[in-house]
Amino acid sequence: MRRYVRPMIPVIILYLTLLLVGLSSESRWQPVAFIMFYIALGQALNMFLGMTGYVDFGYVAFLALGSYGMALAFSSFSSLGLWVILLGFVLAIIMSSLLSLAVGAIALRLRGAYFAIATIGVNEGFRYLVEGVRLWGGSEGIIISSTMKDIFGSDLSNYISTFVADIMVFVIGFIAAFLTVYIINSRIGYALMAVREDEDAARVMGVFATKYKIMAFAMSAIFAGLIGASAWTLKLTYVFPEDVFNITYTVEAIAIVMLGGAGTLTGPIMGGLIYGFLRYYLSTVLPGFQLLVVAPLLVLIVTIFPEGVMGYVKRKVRNTRFEKYII
Amino acid sequence: MPFLEQLAGNLIYGAILGAVYGLATMGLSQIFGVLKIVNVGHGAFIMLGAFTAYWMFTLYSINPMLSIPIALVIGLSMGLAVFYTVIRRLIGAPELSSLLATFGIGIFLEELAKFFWGPDHRGYTWNIGSVNLSITLIPYSKLLAFGMSIIIALILYSIFQKTRIGTAIRAVVEDREGAMVCGVNVTRIYALSFAIGIGLTVMSGVLVTLFVPVGINPYMGGEYTLKAFVIAVLGGLSSPWGAFVGGFIFGLLENGSYTILSLFPNVEPFSLTRFVAFSVLLIILLVKPTGLMGGEGE
Amino acid sequence: MPLLELDGVSKRFGGLIAVNDVSLKIEKGESFGIVGPNGSGKTTLFNLISGIYRPDSGRIFFDGQEITELPPYRRAQLGIGRSFQIPRPFKGATVRENVAVGALFGTLSGKIDVDSALEIADHYIEVVGLHEKRNDEAERLTAVEKKLLELARALAMKPKLLLLDEVVAGMNPKDVDRVVDLIKRVKEEEEIAVVAMVEHVIPAVMKFAERIMVMHEGRKMVEGPTLEVLMMDEVAMVYFGESKLPGE
Repeated sequence: MRRYVRPMIPVIILYLTLLLVGLSSESRWQPVAFIMFYIALGQALNMFLGMTGYVDFGYVAFLALGSYGMALAFSSFSSLGLWVILLGFVLAIIMSSLLSLAVGAIALRLRGAYFAIATIGVNEGFRYLVEGVRLWGGSEGIIISSTMKDIFGSDLSNYISTFVADIMVFVIGFIAAFLTVYIINSRIGYALMAVREDEDAARVMGVFATKYKIMAFAMSAIFAGLIGASAWTLKLTYVFPEDVFNITYTVEAIAIVMLGGAGTLTGPIMGGLIYGFLRYYLSTVLPGFQLLVVAPLLVLIVTIFPEGVMGYVKRKVRNTRFEKYII
Repeated sequence: MPFLEQLAGNLIYGAILGAVYGLATMGLSQIFGVLKIVNVGHGAFIMLGAFTAYWMFTLYSINPMLSIPIALVIGLSMGLAVFYTVIRRLIGAPELSSLLATFGIGIFLEELAKFFWGPDHRGYTWNIGSVNLSITLIPYSKLLAFGMSIIIALILYSIFQKTRIGTAIRAVVEDREGAMVCGVNVTRIYALSFAIGIGLTVMSGVLVTLFVPVGINPYMGGEYTLKAFVIAVLGGLSSPWGAFVGGFIFGLLENGSYTILSLFPNVEPFSLTRFVAFSVLLIILLVKPTGLMGGEGE
Repeated sequence: MPLLELDGVSKRFGGLIAVNDVSLKIEKGESFGIVGPNGSGKTTLFNLISGIYRPDSGRIFFDGQEITELPPYRRAQLGIGRSFQIPRPFKGATVRENVAVGALFGTLSGKIDVDSALEIADHYIEVVGLHEKRNDEAERLTAVEKKLLELARALAMKPKLLLLDEVVAGMNPKDVDRVVDLIKRVKEEEEIAVVAMVEHVIPAVMKFAERIMVMHEGRKMVEGPTLEVLMMDEVAMVYFGESKLPGE
């Protein structure tokens, strides 16, 4: 039990601090929610990229599907009242996990570069399918703001998109952290570590690599779907394919995971914190050019600092009494 | 018969475009073949070539054919610069690192282009007349692009087969340690291969502009990265010649399927054409999961 | 019934036949050596047995069942453990975690939890003498220690057959003795059949293997009791002849 509790202490401290800062004044809530989105995104991707070492360039497709799941709940089941949000999350989970299983079954048989190429193919292919056959509103997307007002009235709708959606992202991020601790300490974590370090060696030691890769992929996809459902659909109240399939989010998520330390628990939180801060600040001084800073940062991290911030810290505290708290 | 005529016309166009696609992919395959690195930022270098052609044409009235050597020089020097600053450190590192680094480089170049030249879609017209094939009208500029792609591919082929450098590169591909023992400076061969790959890619960007009348913008490369992946996988990923042939197949497939998809009501043929392209990619990967690498699945 | 049986196994890569029609029987608890110069197909043969490659023709049986088409992880669980010529530890993980992977996944005896796996790991780390380094990251080990780690990892899988690929290559004579003694000891204690393959270090083979097979250009040249085989003229030709040729 202590194995699960101790590593969560720094996580809980970070989350609580963030939450308190956000609630302390109205003007701070938006930047905190902004940072929290990146933390949660990093944690979700870390479950796959960090744990397996596989790069998914089409990761944003899972956020997109989650976001469509929520939007479809509103556009087709508006009679459910408040339950529609729950249904939206359920749809988000179903849709993102189904896509992940389909992609995983095909692409996770591929290694490294071939996998990365296949995932780009899936993301782009799916986006063009949506636009091409005019699925889910085609390139016009789905706008739920008026449905939302019809169901909840404008005050509650406003409250949902400016506060509840953000809180949901907090909760999703926290659950993701907890699941990550569990995974790292379980059979799954050992299997994924072995696959990440040397897949062939893992296989001749009895690790059914494909199974564990698909598990990690699906979990990561589900959390992405949940983030898409709340941080995009509930918060923004619309879904446009051009936005939700935008590869920029994949880049940002990868940068966060690498910056913080791939495969560590606190890494994506730290990465999201630093990145979110930087990005929020940059959007005021360099609006529209955040990637101009993020891209070289990513190159720099992978070439000279591949272990990331928390990877470094984790190595430094090895064989000290802090070891059990930083994983 | 208008449909068949249209199909025939589009297929001719597809073959012409296919040659350019082939050239635009050879650099990717060249780099993967020698360094085993997938240049995820590939398209950004095509974009640089396109802007080179655009600025040469609009500022100095230099015609695109004459921009090709300029693009080559730019590409070679950028290739060397990128190799010695970043890629060299990633030889032998986990695949994750090189995928992310080249990805980052590509985005950086796009953002730089946007910073200096703005996000607008630009274009230029180089009108030198057309040839009438009765079913379709082919501008001479596109025919020139077609011919030039083939010529560049042939020059590359003879460099590989006939020169010392080409022999050294092939030796490194065959057997890295062996080549090293024989006194080949492997790092220099990597640098050279990377530079040639980028040079080819930037050159192809010049030719691409002859097919996109108003499509020159910082983010135009993404589309070509994706197409290049499909084409490279078609051609076996590590062979520039395979890529060239793959380009033809892709050009025919793209334009043929567009013509056919246009027949259906209620769909957007342009988007669906791309969907078809990515489906082809996935099917190839499915049928031959590890490409030509020869490993076996679980 | 032999523990491992290869029946006319072949594997080609492009035009090259790396393993050509090799048949072989290994009994339970046996010590067997595979000897042959570089490029004679030894490593490919190991990869065929452990499942990294599938043979182009021929069949492979293990412990009473056919495993020709089984994936590597299933073979590992059935009881085939192996080491690699160049050690491939999970570099970022500690020695304990490395060995625990073997205990967690390398057996058929159902799921064990992480704590018991770590206990098993500690036992085998002790056996190979790495206990002082058990919390170190694997990449910080010396070359010899990495080989010992691979051995501990394979032993934690409770294998019936242990495939050792050049396990003593590059070691000084003292380490060779130590490792050979260690292998002999655990082999007796755990009743494992050991197939060790070596390119050089003939004394180590003589000390260890009851029977050996000599491979040459992908084929089985001879097989038999160790001393007998090593005395044969044609073996000497393959083995020592090649290196003399250029001087002639």
